[in-house]
Amino acid sequence: MAHKAKPDRVDVCIIGAGASGATAGKVLTERGLRVVALERGPWRKRESFGGDELANVNRYNLWPDPLLNPRTFRESETEEPRVELFCPSPQMVGGATVHWQGWLLRLTENDFRLRTVVGDVPGTTLADWPITYADLEPYYTRVEWAFGVSGQGGANSFESPRTRDYPCPPMPMTRYAKKFHEGCRELGYNSFPTPMAALSRPYNGRPATVLSAFAQQHGDPTGTRSSALSVWVPDALATGRYDLRPDCYVHEVTVDEQGRCKSAVYQDADGDFVEQEADVFVFACGAIETARLLLLSRSGRFPNGLANGSDLVGRNLTLHEYSAAVGVFDDPVYAWAGGGYVAASSYQFYEHDDSRGFAGGCHVASAGVGIPLPINWSLPDRPAWGAEAKHMDRDFYNHSFAIGMVLHDMPLHSNRVELDDQVKDAWGLPAARITLLPHPNNQAMGRWVIDRNAEILQAAKAKKVYRVYPDRVTGNCSHQHSTTRMGNDPATSVLNKWCQAHEVDNLFVVDGGPFPTATGANPTLTIMANAWRVAEHIADGHKRPAGVGVGAHRNHTNKTESGR
Amino acid sequence: MTEERQGGIGSAAFFDAHQRQTVEAAMARIIPTDEQPGAREAGTGEFLDRYLSGVGFIYAKPDGSGFEKLEGKRAEAWQKRVDILRDKYVEGIKELDRLSREQFGSEFVQLTPEQQDHVLAGMEHPVRDSEAALEESRATAGFAPPAPALQQTSHEIHLEFFPLLALHTRQGFYADSIYGGNKDHVGWQLIGFDGPATLAETHSGRYTTRPYFADAEGTSRKGGDNGAQG
Repeated sequence: MAHKAKPDRVDVCIIGAGASGATAGKVLTERGLRVVALERGPWRKRESFGGDELANVNRYNLWPDPLLNPRTFRESETEEPRVELFCPSPQMVGGATVHWQGWLLRLTENDFRLRTVVGDVPGTTLADWPITYADLEPYYTRVEWAFGVSGQGGANSFESPRTRDYPCPPMPMTRYAKKFHEGCRELGYNSFPTPMAALSRPYNGRPATVLSAFAQQHGDPTGTRSSALSVWVPDALATGRYDLRPDCYVHEVTVDEQGRCKSAVYQDADGDFVEQEADVFVFACGAIETARLLLLSRSGRFPNGLANGSDLVGRNLTLHEYSAAVGVFDDPVYAWAGGGYVAASSYQFYEHDDSRGFAGGCHVASAGVGIPLPINWSLPDRPAWGAEAKHMDRDFYNHSFAIGMVLHDMPLHSNRVELDDQVKDAWGLPAARITLLPHPNNQAMGRWVIDRNAEILQAAKAKKVYRVYPDRVTGNCSHQHSTTRMGNDPATSVLNKWCQAHEVDNLFVVDGGPFPTATGANPTLTIMANAWRVAEHIADGHKRPAGVGVGAHRNHTNKTESGR
Repeated sequence: MTEERQGGIGSAAFFDAHQRQTVEAAMARIIPTDEQPGAREAGTGEFLDRYLSGVGFIYAKPDGSGFEKLEGKRAEAWQKRVDILRDKYVEGIKELDRLSREQFGSEFVQLTPEQQDHVLAGMEHPVRDSEAALEESRATAGFAPPAPALQQTSHEIHLEFFPLLALHTRQGFYADSIYGGNKDHVGWQLIGFDGPATLAETHSGRYTTRPYFADAEGTSRKGGDNGAQG
């Protein structure tokens, strides 16, 4: 392993080229800044994706291989951590948006002030956000229109005010979405077509999305789904200012004498070490990996990890355990049509309601049972083998779907990401060790919502209903948040409202890490909208007269000084 | 190896003749043949033998033109995984024969289907008395059938022999035919999955499930019934 010559210093170094990093890359380069994006994974082109369930769902074609990228998990500090594929997310250009089906839901106004709405929940670190829905609304709209999101404004009666409808009408209705609407209507619940990162019609020179069965957990060989890979990366490259370097794994970010970020030290595809300097560093690795990289970046100034004088980096980790009620129907629902996630949703249980006996609420939506493709479909009481298993496959595969929930995980000080002291990854760096014990509120919410989902299935005339209660955490969902919370008080948050570290003024985080709470909705639309907001702020601060220097972000609270 | 082994990309193998016969006999009990084809007709033994042959058949090329050549760390990780799985199979097959002799006085392949089921059931639910074993089964319960894999991938190197065999039988029955199983799409036809003719059909964007949406009832992608009415 050699050290290569230092490349030119640039305006901004973004670590990660997934949903958040690629959004920031697009916005910053379009504002004229020179950006180097360091992505640890490969840059796969659409020709490399296919309709192959075995490779994509079962053989880590897109998921991280746990033999190379292990994580460890334990519920409490007294427990021995075990290696698990916990809360994985694809590590490649485009990140998890490469293989998602893209449910792009907005948060509501109360998500930004949940602590105020709910009050104190003992044992949690529930907090209001330092920004409001109104702060983010313009950026929601920008992302929706850049992506060409297919949806129906106003159809969600719990939606907070929007300034503009969706650019594309909803996707065609699947049979499983139709049944969900029918069940909700029967019970008097509001339901709406799930807004999706897909094109129901040609848009911005792109053709309508191909409705394959191989979508959720599969890359898109047609390039017709909307993703960071198919939208943000081409936009950023078109500026000529986006230097995207795949297979470049950042081992640490160094600091200068003032304690500001100086360089990212990474190992490139040849195994050589390279040091990239920049004025500003944007962390966009996902909430778990960003926390890990900050903790890996130790120095005399930050012996416990970069920007971690507070010991808050990695704490308050929140996830979205995925669970569902499952219904079996007489008539076929073909839950694999469109990939299983061309869905219908409801926010009927989204807003907090004291009478339910738990804090918060969440989004529910129709979907296939897990990945409703032949290998991975199953039912909770299906035997592992034998004639009965075969008959259940034959009789119920086309006749079942699920109503899933996005469990709003409560934040706890003790739930956290640390560096594992035993397990290392294939590059010799300590794995992320997750310690997480869910708050009792999770179980109460999970049981209550799954019961409601089961009732919707019954109202839709399911002949059999299963309830899969999320009573324990398995890390079965990629959504991850809150490891670098934003807030106004440096004693309780890592970042300020601009997602800039309280302790390091040229360090920003734009993934789910800044979320003070998990919310009950799929996070990526909000992550991308927030990354856009933060990137604009960085660009505003960077356009200073020559000679003023690179400390462009110290006076961010007074934007009129930033010379935009 | 067996003389009827197909040529071309299907010629790689790991098992000796007895191992292959034993695995195929067990797979034939996991997805039995009745009035409709089972694991034997789908070629799940071929699927598994090819998988364990090395790292040459891990990922099909997405256009179906062959298999990816793995390199670097990815190849190392897969070689390690395949080595672990090979050991599990070699030991598991020995154990199957040991239990068969112990209970019925013959090797597994010599037993009647009912006797084979008895041996397999014993392997599925061995007497477990240690807390560690219980904890391990809890840890893997979310990743393997019968529990639905709600959003998660399987973690097969942590499985014991029997759940591993059941998983691979299912994979061989339902995976794209390029991997050596699901011959003539017998698995897909059983359950009514109207999948693509080949990987190339999906790769080129020709494959669509639009006829199976709510507003397209009564139509079919191929103009015929897909056998999904079971």
